[in-house]
Amino acid sequence: MDLTTLLQFFINGIVLGAIYVLLAIGLSIIFGMIGIVNLTHGILYMLGAYAAVSLTPYIGFFPNLIVAPLLVAAFGMAIEAAFLRRIYKGDPALGLLFTFGLAMFLEQMVRLIWGTLGIPFQIPAALRGALVMGPIIYSKYRYFIALCSVAVIGGLWWFLEKTRYGTIIRAGSRDPDMVRMLGISLKPVFTAVFGLGVALAAFSGVLASPLAGVEPAMGTNTGTFAFVVVVIGGLGSFWGSVISGLMVGEVESFCIFFWPPMADASKFALMILILLLRPRGLLGRRWERFE
Amino acid sequence: MKRWLLFQSVTANLGLLAVLLVLPFALEHLKSTALMASQILIFAVVGLGFNILLGYTGLLSFGHGMFLGMGMFGATLTQLHLLRGAFWGPIAVGTLCAALTGTVVGFLLMRRRGVYFSLLTLAFTQLFFTICYRWTDVTGGENGLSGLKRPEVFGLDLRSDYIFYYVCLILLGACVLLIRRIIDAPFGRVLQAIRDNEVRAASVGYNARRYKHVAVIISGTFLGFAGALFAFLNYFAYPEVFHAAFSGSIVAMTIVGGMRNFFGPIIGAAVYVFFQDLLSSYTKHWMIFFGLMFMAFILFSPNGMMGILQNFRNRFRSALPDAAAAPPVAAASDPGVPAEVPNRRVDPALLGPEIFRIEGVTKRFGALAAVDGVTFSVSKGELRSVIGPNGAGKTTLFNVLTGNLAIDGGKVSFKGEDITGLEPHQIARHGIARSFQILSIFKDLTVFENIRVAVQSTTPHRFALFTATDELTAINQEAERIVQQVGLGVLRDQIAMNISHGDQRLLEIGITLAMQPELLMLDEPLAGLAAKERIRIANLIRGLAGEHTIILIDHDIDQILNISDRITVLAQGKVIAEGTPDEIKANPQVQEAYIGGFDRKHLVAHPPQRRTDTPLLEVDRINTFYGKSHILHDVSLTVHPGELVCLLGRNGAGKTTTLHSIIGLVPPARGEVRFAGRPVARLQPEQISREGVMIVPQGRRIFPNLTVEENLGIAAIQAGRNGRPVVWTPARAYDLLPQLGRLRARRGEQMSGGELQMLAIARALMQNGQLLMLDEPFEGLAPTIVEGLWKVINQLKKEMTILLVEQNADLALSLGDRVYVVNNGKIDFEGSAQALIEDHELRVKLLGV
Repeated sequence: MDLTTLLQFFINGIVLGAIYVLLAIGLSIIFGMIGIVNLTHGILYMLGAYAAVSLTPYIGFFPNLIVAPLLVAAFGMAIEAAFLRRIYKGDPALGLLFTFGLAMFLEQMVRLIWGTLGIPFQIPAALRGALVMGPIIYSKYRYFIALCSVAVIGGLWWFLEKTRYGTIIRAGSRDPDMVRMLGISLKPVFTAVFGLGVALAAFSGVLASPLAGVEPAMGTNTGTFAFVVVVIGGLGSFWGSVISGLMVGEVESFCIFFWPPMADASKFALMILILLLRPRGLLGRRWERFE
Repeated sequence: MKRWLLFQSVTANLGLLAVLLVLPFALEHLKSTALMASQILIFAVVGLGFNILLGYTGLLSFGHGMFLGMGMFGATLTQLHLLRGAFWGPIAVGTLCAALTGTVVGFLLMRRRGVYFSLLTLAFTQLFFTICYRWTDVTGGENGLSGLKRPEVFGLDLRSDYIFYYVCLILLGACVLLIRRIIDAPFGRVLQAIRDNEVRAASVGYNARRYKHVAVIISGTFLGFAGALFAFLNYFAYPEVFHAAFSGSIVAMTIVGGMRNFFGPIIGAAVYVFFQDLLSSYTKHWMIFFGLMFMAFILFSPNGMMGILQNFRNRFRSALPDAAAAPPVAAASDPGVPAEVPNRRVDPALLGPEIFRIEGVTKRFGALAAVDGVTFSVSKGELRSVIGPNGAGKTTLFNVLTGNLAIDGGKVSFKGEDITGLEPHQIARHGIARSFQILSIFKDLTVFENIRVAVQSTTPHRFALFTATDELTAINQEAERIVQQVGLGVLRDQIAMNISHGDQRLLEIGITLAMQPELLMLDEPLAGLAAKERIRIANLIRGLAGEHTIILIDHDIDQILNISDRITVLAQGKVIAEGTPDEIKANPQVQEAYIGGFDRKHLVAHPPQRRTDTPLLEVDRINTFYGKSHILHDVSLTVHPGELVCLLGRNGAGKTTTLHSIIGLVPPARGEVRFAGRPVARLQPEQISREGVMIVPQGRRIFPNLTVEENLGIAAIQAGRNGRPVVWTPARAYDLLPQLGRLRARRGEQMSGGELQMLAIARALMQNGQLLMLDEPFEGLAPTIVEGLWKVINQLKKEMTILLVEQNADLALSLGDRVYVVNNGKIDFEGSAQALIEDHELRVKLLGV
């Protein structure tokens, strides 16, 4: 085991982590604004991937990075406007229950429409092969994933911190009624935020689809890992999601290297460790609205 | 009536038993199998065990499959490798595995609160799934483990599905009875109290985390038992039970059946198994339909089928004439003729030895020291009052002393023992009980059970798992006595949430008393009560002193002066005076604190503004409710353009509620609000704000995570949209309030109280509306800042219309043109500020100052 191999696994961890970061930030934004942990998140990630697989023959791969998230976001916003909106005022558990039921339903629908078997999917021709940088030989497509994720995370940070809409979202996550008393209607903001979070999930689904193809169980699996990431990072914390997503990615990557069968379990082990050492999560702070 | 109910429940139980006895034959008749009957039984126990957490503790688990799976694999592995051909041994081991899982996983689950519980359970079951799926050597991986045998027990050949069914019926029937017993035992009652109000449960001495942990273990154990039987039913253990989807179906069937009814999960299990059997012969995607049904229940009937049945039955019942046999919810707190408060204050020299001492207690919120080095000591049997203007830090002090907020500095000792930094339930167990400013009761329990749960916290039975609470005579008698003592006898069996506000206040005190505390800490027990009720409760409190030591916070100065032995005065988080009521009355510093260092030279009556004929704001006989409490009664007021109108009144009189009704946050149920001639009472807050209503809310409500600039920016978004000119810009706000200009990049959470108040005013101005509503702007501010703020408002009133809500009458009157006084949700007085300034007697009568 030499240094270059280690470095390759390190980069691989970042790439794996990037997907988790995108998922976790989406979850966090939705939770912060609406107060609902979206248990459908993993399934919507999967829908993004299935959309990419289905649409690529017609429009090629790259347009999917825009088209699939938009389609899935439109679907998510319709769900929000039609159903979720009805339960904001009730018991917070209703949101969990509804999104969980929706996830069960959608996963079955995916099986019904696309079949229960996985569909293999290819890395787009332009990004096949490896890039050689000195001693490090690494997949071009994985570099592409890392690049896209950095761009999206950076753009998102800019959007939340520097734009008027971002200000409304940050303010609304702390005191929604006060925002309304300043003349700002939150209904469209809620819908838009749900759409944004869902679009992030679908986007990471598109990015991940060429890595291992698509299959109906991928939603629940990856979705659970996204929950593990927010438990570690703390719900509602942007940088908490980023750090913890990357950590989970690294742990998984090195576990693939040292003890492959336990690669999935390793993420849970990290979560248990964090629970024991820092019960609030890495950057989690007490958030009165939700505890 | 009672006999009829008993008859009903006996017939219902016998009916259920009859159905269960013939179930396998009936199902076979329906072209199904006896196996399915056993599956219904097993899932019924799964649902009931799961519902110990969901319905009775309020914890939503998405991972209960892990317990069932542990039971299943534990039993299977035991029979395959250790006890070949055995039945009871494997079942015991499987159950034990689940209990152990509950212990370890439960410990980890309790490290986090709130919504994390659901996420963590989901994560844990997936962890088990991963391990089970990959650890092929032991668990068989994807294929699971087969080869399990049903042996002969007591001469019965379990291989017969019928015999197996009846064995299951006996075993699982015992589980059902056991679960029922646990729910009715003191332990189960505490779980329900925690579900209703965890903070309150801790404050009566229950370690909520420990109870929840034990609930997880118990619930998991039942699932493990059911899982072991399930393995025998199928001759097989398979990994899918660990998958989140399986746990999801446990949740779904419980919800569909009804989590708020004991039998709900049984119905749910039957429906689920039947549904699965029926649909899976047509399509392998039957979960689609079940998922749809589940979502429909969440949206339309979260209490499931039993909820629908209950609603239906209620409707049917209320149509019957004899339904009125149930006693109406009478107001117990109708006091008749209030007795005089026995003015038996004690000479401080005669008070007992010191029992409670606090030294240098400090609590900071960001840059704000809400409690700042408070030191005092209380003697045994004393009635000590803590008073101070709004925002002085009284409630924060209580929260720190009772462990509800973490302490930042100082020391608290009780009976010579250091209790600094203990958790609320530990402090309660030392003999300190508290009541809450904002009502904190167990809303879904009856009045009697509210008290009983508090009584049992001090007895050795508080953790009893299998004793029926109804049979614990001593506890029941004591609870009965306290219900009578606080005068709630008539309402004994009413659900707490349905009784009147005054009665809920009494219940709050009753819960506090029920713990037999040595020290009672009462936080504004008189708030929001009518005059008669105030006297009645003050009376009750005075009667308790001597036997108990009492620390009392309230704003009703008359009652405080009347009943207290000694008084401590707080202002801006510091003790500024301490002494007997007479000493406090004579203390000039105290008076200054109450009028906020306000220079009385400002208090000159000025001629009211000339009024135009059309009012800007017209509140027309509005009636507003919070839940079932009727807060505002026919409140009317008008504000004309250019006026400054004051709305005065005691704490809890309805001032803030009036503002919230105007802005639409708590819309009035009856009556109308007109702004610039347009009716707005049915509009949303954002729409009313856009009409031109600006609010500086109580407590400022500055966004803590936004900078000064961003706080102003977000308010300016809607400015100018309504065709009104934009006269207020951030630049102009910085001009008016120079200190804000220096803090542009600072976040709200890093600012002091005075700075936050200035920012709140500036933020409201950015909306460029027509009416500025200020809710207690002077609350909790230091005298120098009050002076500055007074000047700012005096400046603003020259160019805008203002509605000022204030507790400090002097400050408000010196600014105001006209005044309304609100009392118990009704307008008591309407007139010019001048009239109230000049008529001292009237002021005392209306405002008690």
